[in-house]
Amino acid sequence: MIEIKNLHASVNGKEILKGINLKVNAGEVHAIMGPNGSGKSTLAQVLSGHPAYTVTQGEVIFEGQNLLELEPEKRAHAGVFLAFQYPVEIPGVSNSYFLKAGLNEIRKSRGEEELDSMQFLKMLKVKMKVVEMDPSFIHRPVNEGFSGGEKKRNEILQMAVIEPKLAILDETDSGLDIDALKIVSSGVNKLKTPQNATIVVTHYQRLLNYIVPDFVHVLVNGRIVKSGGKELAMELEANGYDFIREEMLQAS
Amino acid sequence: MEEKIMPNKNDHYVSEFQAFQQNGASKSPAWVNDVRTLALSVFTERGFPTTKEEDWKYTNVSAIAKSPFTYSSGTSGIPAGLVESLLIKNLDQYVIVFINGHVSKEHSNLEGLADGAVVKNLIEAYATHTDIVKEHLAKYVPFNKNPFTALNTAFINDGAFIHIPAHVEVAKPIHLLFISTQKEGKQIASHIRNLIVVEEGAKVNIAHSFHSAQANSNLTNVVTEVVAKKNSTVEIVKVQCESVLSYHFENLHVHQFHESCVHVFSLAVGGAIARNDMSVIIDGESTECNLNGLYITSGEQLIDHHTFMHHIHPNCPSHELFKGILMDKSRAVFNGKVYVEPEAQKTDSKQTNRNLLLSDDAVVDTKPELEIFADDVKCTHGAAVGGMNETHSFYLKTRGITEGSARGILTVGFAAEATQKIVHPELRHHVDVIVVDHLRTKFGTANLPDIVHA
Repeated sequence: MIEIKNLHASVNGKEILKGINLKVNAGEVHAIMGPNGSGKSTLAQVLSGHPAYTVTQGEVIFEGQNLLELEPEKRAHAGVFLAFQYPVEIPGVSNSYFLKAGLNEIRKSRGEEELDSMQFLKMLKVKMKVVEMDPSFIHRPVNEGFSGGEKKRNEILQMAVIEPKLAILDETDSGLDIDALKIVSSGVNKLKTPQNATIVVTHYQRLLNYIVPDFVHVLVNGRIVKSGGKELAMELEANGYDFIREEMLQAS
Repeated sequence: MEEKIMPNKNDHYVSEFQAFQQNGASKSPAWVNDVRTLALSVFTERGFPTTKEEDWKYTNVSAIAKSPFTYSSGTSGIPAGLVESLLIKNLDQYVIVFINGHVSKEHSNLEGLADGAVVKNLIEAYATHTDIVKEHLAKYVPFNKNPFTALNTAFINDGAFIHIPAHVEVAKPIHLLFISTQKEGKQIASHIRNLIVVEEGAKVNIAHSFHSAQANSNLTNVVTEVVAKKNSTVEIVKVQCESVLSYHFENLHVHQFHESCVHVFSLAVGGAIARNDMSVIIDGESTECNLNGLYITSGEQLIDHHTFMHHIHPNCPSHELFKGILMDKSRAVFNGKVYVEPEAQKTDSKQTNRNLLLSDDAVVDTKPELEIFADDVKCTHGAAVGGMNETHSFYLKTRGITEGSARGILTVGFAAEATQKIVHPELRHHVDVIVVDHLRTKFGTANLPDIVHA
């Protein structure tokens, strides 16, 4: 589904990603783990096209398309979704308007009919059950005054509505208590199909108890230094990131 | 002996004043006439302000000084259905309508006002409420400082008079609706004078609306004095939607006493040049004042807000949030002065001005002015001028929303943060609808969200 080759990216002239290689197939869940400042969130943002980052080398092929050539909204139309670590608050604009505006743009880009308000609300109510969200959130301004957990649930609700091919979850577990973590994870699991893929970016192994990855990659200093199965996450949990650093030292 | 030559620009107003004395002004008491004569001499001596004066540095009014605005006596006709279209939808309201500054009783509806609450035009109040008018009229706003206030005072004639007796809560909002209309192709000047006296413990909500009947280049020059007595609660929501060719000035002056609570909101979208001078004198302990606003400019409009928060007594919070949305080659000015007297300890004053520039050619001049003479106070201020927030815009785009739609949605969101300060839910909704309609027109798309509040 997506193939990242030798991806280098910088922000304000400082190189953060220093040659990422990663291939994700449909039906797979990949976890990207790593210490703070390793470039995990940058990778998520670069894949979605945040304008603050400059790609200096490499390529990303998504479903046969050169992803890096596309504007962020075109990437969304193509099927890439980013769940934000810090979702943005938009006062004055209702959640339902926001969700409907995005969904209809995506449908339009695929040559599908736009949904009218009735059809949309009917669909939205079904999707809200996926993340156990109270229907009153439909009419509230986007994320304004939401708790940390409500904001993350709202991200997964958006994902449920949009039904992306590739979902990138950026530190979705940060700021969640255990109950919220379970709801959010179960939402993600319910949305999993053999046709879509998920990249879970996280600092802690905790989330991976609930969203079980097929592959785990460790990102250190802008490069993937180790890849493995879900047991790698357990190893990291037990030994911390230091053992990776030691391995790297010994190797060099 | 050489004759003293009056500057040309003021001659016009001297002859206007003479004509005014002969017709419209004749109904008012002698003491009003004395104030007028004094104010005229102040104005003729001083003339219109120039950009050399600090207070008018960014607002050039020479176009106004050059135009021969005419005082219009009596109301002119306005299109059928106009007043109805300007009322606040789905809301029971008392309404008093003024056309070019003159009351129009046929369009007003004050039926059901109870408990001694009074809403009428000032000319009537001279006779029926002589003592109250005499006690308060022209007693708060100094006319030697602002030439437009001097001019207004010279032409004091009609306007709204509101008196809410002690401990009366007025159930419905009072809507003061001012319509400016063209007359015989002339540029009309309306010098509107409002007096609002809210007695101890009384509560009232006031909508304060300004509209043009058609595209006209009239001058609307308003002075509004508000007296909020001990423990009273007052909300004033101003909506200024006059023609983009017109000129609008208002000096809104609030005098607050002990433990009173005042909310003022100013929406300004109209006028070629529009200026709001908004002063609050906090003349009592533990009073609360919230002064907020939103201006949206486009074309070559200039909208100027000058606020003045005067803390005289201890333990008073005051909050100001003014937001601006600027398009095309338009300009905006925000000057926020906060003055804290030595006795005003424990003042908690916060002032914020944020501007969203949607065009490279739009210009904002923003200036906080804090003068603090007490040592145990919390006074903060912040000003920001910038374009669309990149992260916010990115968030929307990752959901598939296009650049153009993201801009519209975020602009509505930016505006909503200001309008949410309006306390009365229906008045807030009224302003929200006007704001979104205006933005839809300016963005050239119906595809903008209606505002919802948390």
